[in-house]
Amino acid sequence: MATQTTAVVDRTVHAPRGRVFDVVKEWLTTVDHKKIGLMYIGYALIFLLIAGVEALMMRIQLAVPNNHFVSPQTFNQLFTMHGTTMVFFAGMPILFGFGNYLVPLMIGARDMAFPRLNAFSFWISAFGGFLLYYSYFGGSGMYGAGSAPDVGWFAYAPLTARVFSPGHSTDYWTLSILVSGVGSIGTALNIVATILCMRCPGMKMNRLPLLAWLYLVTSGLVFVTISPLTAAQIMLMLDRYLGAHFFDTQAGGSAVLWMHFFWIFGHPEVYILVLPAFGFASEIIPVFSRKAIFGYPAMVAATVGIGFISLTVWAHHMFTVGLGAPGNAFFTFSTMVISVPTGIKVFNWLATLWGGKIHFEVPMLFSLGFLFQFVVAGLTGIMLSVSPFDWQLGSSYFVVAHFHYVLVGAIVFMIFAAFYYWYPKMTGRMLDKKLGQWHFWLFLIGFHVTFDLMHIPGLLGMPRRIYTYEADRGWAGLNMAVSIGGAIQGIATLIFVYNLVHSYFKGKEAGADPWDAWTLEWSTASPPPAYNFAETPTVESRRPLWDLKHPNDPDSKYEG
Amino acid sequence: MHHDDATTTGQIQLPTPTVWPIVLALGVALLVTALVTSVYIGALGLVLILMGSVGWFRQVLPHEAHEPVPVETEEIRVETARRLLKAAPISDERRKILPIESFRISSGIKGGLAGGFAMTVPAGIFSVVKYHSFWYAVNLMAAGGFVSWAGASNQFLGEFHLRGLLAATAIHGMISILVGLLYVAMLHMFPKYPILSAGFVVPLIFTGLMHTAIGVVSPILNQRIEWFWFVASQIFFGLVCGFVVNLHDKVRTPQFQALPFAVRAGFEMGPGTGAPTDDAAGKKNEEENQA
Repeated sequence: MATQTTAVVDRTVHAPRGRVFDVVKEWLTTVDHKKIGLMYIGYALIFLLIAGVEALMMRIQLAVPNNHFVSPQTFNQLFTMHGTTMVFFAGMPILFGFGNYLVPLMIGARDMAFPRLNAFSFWISAFGGFLLYYSYFGGSGMYGAGSAPDVGWFAYAPLTARVFSPGHSTDYWTLSILVSGVGSIGTALNIVATILCMRCPGMKMNRLPLLAWLYLVTSGLVFVTISPLTAAQIMLMLDRYLGAHFFDTQAGGSAVLWMHFFWIFGHPEVYILVLPAFGFASEIIPVFSRKAIFGYPAMVAATVGIGFISLTVWAHHMFTVGLGAPGNAFFTFSTMVISVPTGIKVFNWLATLWGGKIHFEVPMLFSLGFLFQFVVAGLTGIMLSVSPFDWQLGSSYFVVAHFHYVLVGAIVFMIFAAFYYWYPKMTGRMLDKKLGQWHFWLFLIGFHVTFDLMHIPGLLGMPRRIYTYEADRGWAGLNMAVSIGGAIQGIATLIFVYNLVHSYFKGKEAGADPWDAWTLEWSTASPPPAYNFAETPTVESRRPLWDLKHPNDPDSKYEG
Repeated sequence: MHHDDATTTGQIQLPTPTVWPIVLALGVALLVTALVTSVYIGALGLVLILMGSVGWFRQVLPHEAHEPVPVETEEIRVETARRLLKAAPISDERRKILPIESFRISSGIKGGLAGGFAMTVPAGIFSVVKYHSFWYAVNLMAAGGFVSWAGASNQFLGEFHLRGLLAATAIHGMISILVGLLYVAMLHMFPKYPILSAGFVVPLIFTGLMHTAIGVVSPILNQRIEWFWFVASQIFFGLVCGFVVNLHDKVRTPQFQALPFAVRAGFEMGPGTGAPTDDAAGKKNEEENQA
């Protein structure tokens, strides 16, 4: 028997659609967290496509031996821009976009704590991205050398010194990250303040949706890790412009110092990207298993544990530098330890699925793909955490395959899942299910063809960042297959983009709660009004909509 | 941020849209860009920063600028189309494996330390009989932690080294405590033959595990280990550790509180109390469920 309860749901009185100028002005001046979230997502999608095209160009170059599809200089620029764009201008903004949109709605708030700072953070991040790509036009500098940055996304010293990197290409890389870092810290500050101070009545910390918990920890990591990166960028600028010698080994500086600065940001950055993906999984898997999340307190504890431990593992990126026995032992140990809280999460997601009534909707398909692939990525991560193993395979395509398994297999899959799950809330329209299934299966096949096979040339000794290779190395067939897999992923992504546009105009009406879900964002209209909730909601459990839908059997009866 | 109730006022106050955040952001970006372009770009950036800052201040001081947004509410249903099924009954027998009594963690630490201490006796005898020095066994244990000791001679290993003693004590103590804690978690699950399980089964399993892994864990130990003496030491550890753990009183787990009063008071035997349970009946129930 269906249980029915009534609740107040809001409907904004919409102003009549104005001219194009009015619409543009409305978006440029908005301080509404939902619009800013959507702008983050739109801007990140554009950069995701750009970086995806760069990846495909690299794969065309590597598909056959002795290829000259692009020049060596262009290839160096491609992998630099691809890595930098994906991490700073696609991954972080898209996750901040979802956080901006969802966190206030999920905790029953009207907006972020600092709406104007929110707008400033978005715009300065966006200008950082534009600055990076302006390097293609302005990177030649006064020496007439250089163009886009070509020093890799981690820009190791001494390659960034003026003598090896003339012109302004490296400066554009440094400045764009510096500028976007300001925006990242602003958004993190906003998320923390919003979660801590703006929860609706009854939303205690132990009733906070897991997505909000994960964004809270992610934001804490942003505070801790962007600071050393920013400091290092300023030191690099001082080296390049004022003759400082922080990273100049010939003048008493240290190239390894840069590596420490970079990776103490760089590795937690992986968790900055993956924790929101965990949050998406923790919201989507229970809804499509028709069960409450298994082990909520353990999930929160594991999240906080991951946050702390992730700050202690950075030098596993530097095993090949020669850290010495104590350093190797410590970073091997800490890297292995982080698999414990991560494993707790995986087991809890599996336990949520176990015995559930699983609905294979498109968001769930991507979530299941994420679960499997994240475990595989974790296993190769444990292999690489063993320093002697890393000495053999560090800087090989095995490492590239490993981290793409995390970044694509886990994070991108969950970003797609999040799109299919929350797009109805954001637009009021359902994404087309058939196209979504095509997208999922093609992307899954493309992903596994690309990244499963990519491990093997790595094991056979193919170094990463290599421009081309001789035909007698035995890598040719595998590289061709990897490139074909990349093309399949590209086709799948185009289907997704088409689905986004097509469904916006012709998608099925979603209604307020198309998934029969349990968190607060589903209690308001789709898309939500500017003020989110006409009445500030009150919650009594972790699943407030479950309580409304099942007044005879509310969660509040069982939660301590 | 105002949180007034729209159902009474018909409108909600929200922050006024403003151009100043984008102006300030553009100003900062242009000022930074001046480093790689032109001083004029920097000057423009500076002007925008000043304009943006003043404009922003005027937006929030003395009071944050808000605008009323009209609200129209309607009442709609929040409902589920799905049926809420009654949970299927589960046999109590399924939960009988949860222990109602367990050992304290402290008894595991004590047992581990006692076993570790006892283990030094056969290890010491081996060391003295075969290499005429008690320190050989100590240094061999420590060598796993020192890469530079990988090629050490028997004479070197037979000498006293403070580093070796400290490292061996730390390694041996840590492993002994961990195994003691394992005994605490495990022994009450196999209450029938504690001497067999603690004294022989676990040491032999641990030996098998070590035999497989020792080449990776400690190559020097792998080269020089005497498996007979190793197994003897393990069994000695297991017997003493198991004995010490079993000496301590057990504590009742939360599962005990769930038992009926008659069982808790000792008038009746219940599931999980060590009394024979009706396994046949339980199997029958499962079969019926499957059918």
